Amino acid sequence: MTFLSASAAPASANPVSVVPTVAPAASAMVELRAVTKRYGQFEALHRIDLSIAKGEFVTLLGPSGSGKTTLLNLIAGMIMPSSGQIVIDGRDATGLPTNQRGLGMVFQNYALMPHMTVFENIAFPLQVRGLARSEIKRKVTDVLDLIQLGHVAGRRPRELSGGQQQRVSLARCIVYNPALILMDEPLGALDKKLREQMQLEIKRLHAELGITMLYVTHDQDEALTMSDRIVLMNGGRIEQEGPPDTLYFKPETVFSAEFIGSSNLIPGEVEAVENGTVTLRTALGRFPVPAPDRPVRAGEPAVLLVRPENMVLTDRPGPTGVTGRIEDSILLGGVVRHFLRCADGTTVIVQELNQPGRAGARRDDTVRAAWSVEHGRLLPPPPAR
Amino acid sequence: MNPLFGSSAIARRVVTAAAWVCYVFLLVPSLIVVPISFGNAGQIEFPPREFSLALYRQFFTDPAWWGSMVQSLFVAVTTTALALLLAVPAAYALARSNLPGRGLLRGLFMMPMLVPVIVLGLGLYLQFSDWGLLDTTLGVVLAHVMLTTPYIMISVMSGLQHSDVALETVASIMGASRRTIFFRVVLPQLGPSIAVGALFAFLMSLDEVVVAYFLTGTDSMTLPVKMYSSIRWELTPVLAAVSTLLTVLSLLIALGIIALQRKTEAQS
Ligand SMILES: Nc1ncnc2c1ncn2[C@@H]1O[C@H](COP(=O)(O)OP(=O)(O)OP(=O)(O)O)[C@@H](O)[C@H]1O
Ligand SMILES: [Mg+2]
Repeated sequence: MTFLSASAAPASANPVSVVPTVAPAASAMVELRAVTKRYGQFEALHRIDLSIAKGEFVTLLGPSGSGKTTLLNLIAGMIMPSSGQIVIDGRDATGLPTNQRGLGMVFQNYALMPHMTVFENIAFPLQVRGLARSEIKRKVTDVLDLIQLGHVAGRRPRELSGGQQQRVSLARCIVYNPALILMDEPLGALDKKLREQMQLEIKRLHAELGITMLYVTHDQDEALTMSDRIVLMNGGRIEQEGPPDTLYFKPETVFSAEFIGSSNLIPGEVEAVENGTVTLRTALGRFPVPAPDRPVRAGEPAVLLVRPENMVLTDRPGPTGVTGRIEDSILLGGVVRHFLRCADGTTVIVQELNQPGRAGARRDDTVRAAWSVEHGRLLPPPPAR
Repeated sequence: MNPLFGSSAIARRVVTAAAWVCYVFLLVPSLIVVPISFGNAGQIEFPPREFSLALYRQFFTDPAWWGSMVQSLFVAVTTTALALLLAVPAAYALARSNLPGRGLLRGLFMMPMLVPVIVLGLGLYLQFSDWGLLDTTLGVVLAHVMLTTPYIMISVMSGLQHSDVALETVASIMGASRRTIFFRVVLPQLGPSIAVGALFAFLMSLDEVVVAYFLTGTDSMTLPVKMYSSIRWELTPVLAAVSTLLTVLSLLIALGIIALQRKTEAQS
């Protein structure tokens, strides 16, 4: 719950938080200005504006095909934008060849040189930069210590485990201190446990070295764990961007709400707006909802979002609640999730803490699921597709 | 398993035996020169009545013979070196760049494989007589470079298909120039396929007769041409010794190619 209170604090009260949209251009590591990428008729990216501050950890999150890799490749210079401008470290890099951008990249399949040892792999970017042999040796040794792989320096990549290989490929980036490290689903090939371990390791390296990182994933948990800021992509556009808690607690669209976390979405029509409260008429009843920042007018369609963990099963009557029959309850360790079938056929999910010795609701019980008014969030209806 | 023969051990043994019969049938005519080469210096006879190295001695003491052998080796080595210099970068460029007209270029490089050798020989003969390249070592070498380049390219391009483009991308992101990428990332991985191509080119040049026959004269005669004319004019038993030497050399190179291919397969 400390999470919630932190997010409720105004941004100005939190001096360390980075608010990139108002950050001066000089402190931006990367800036995309109206970048569009077309493949023939198909627009893979549509007028993307994005600014990444120095030292920030930004995650590109989105479903398959939403343009995450395309965006990364544009920044790396592997493909050229159809229009728009890319600025890296204050320098226009739109037409700059890949090898002059001073970036680092970590791939899902590691991309380590099979004919070089671990040491040689990490030394390669330093040799390219023409460093003295003694300095190369010192730097490689240091970074091998940092990732705790000094004992495998003489091995070939194929003699390492997947996790070790990915650490080497990370080390190969860190060693030459690039302005920005791009990572395209770097942990996608690892099993869950190793992935979580590596997430922490990457976070640690980011905190210790202060390198700006742009990280691609389609795993929402990974994005929530690691990022200073999440950029949610949808169909070649930025759907929403912000710190993880903002994306979780204040989604602005149905897409955002559904993509991050689970959600109850109840469609309806705005009946009245007064005193900062909207009354929404739905098939399940009339509910008061806090008015959103954007203007709403009576008569327009809208969707009510309530997160399952903000719903409780209760007997107490109140203005916000629905009645339904418990169809299923599943246990998820510390929490239990009830699936309620309402009269009109909608399913509502309620998530409660699982406490021992509590007489919980049973299957086929008819119960009331309620939420407090301030936990509801009014979203615009999804665009007709 | 092959449905035609089932998986029964007997059927498999029959097939293996048949394959061996074919091999022997193909090999015996060439291998028959081996015993002959150890015969008497006087005449060609099989089986030889007495064992001697006289024919080999004759080969290595007659400057016309070993001279053409040296010439052939020189031509083959030079051809291989030049063809490598041409084919490896060309294959890399064709495989990795997306320059327009790439298909056309590839077709141009592969052309010598498709044109009948006799036509090529005639064409080169006419062209080289204009340029004054007839009966010169340079002339044969140029012609052989043309003939062998596509084979090296094919070998290298298949090697490139096995190597991961992401490695070149990542090297480029790390700041490496195209040159560095070629020499430090691409070339080391292509070692075996380059070696296979090179051995193949060497072998092709070493026993190429048709084009060399058109282009060489007394000053630049290669071993196969010398053998061919000697068959026509004198039919000396030294031919058996030469053939044996060539066969052994080819066999060694072929074994080398097989070993290298095994190695590449094991790697990928
Ligand atoms: N070379 C190309 N030619 C044509 N279309 C392409 C090309 N590369 C990508 N696309 C299209 O652009 C869109 C975005 O692709 P991109 O690879 O950026 O997706 P992504 O978000 O990385 O997805 P994933 O999570 O599956 O990796 C996709 O619809 C893809 O089909
Ligand atoms: Mg991708």
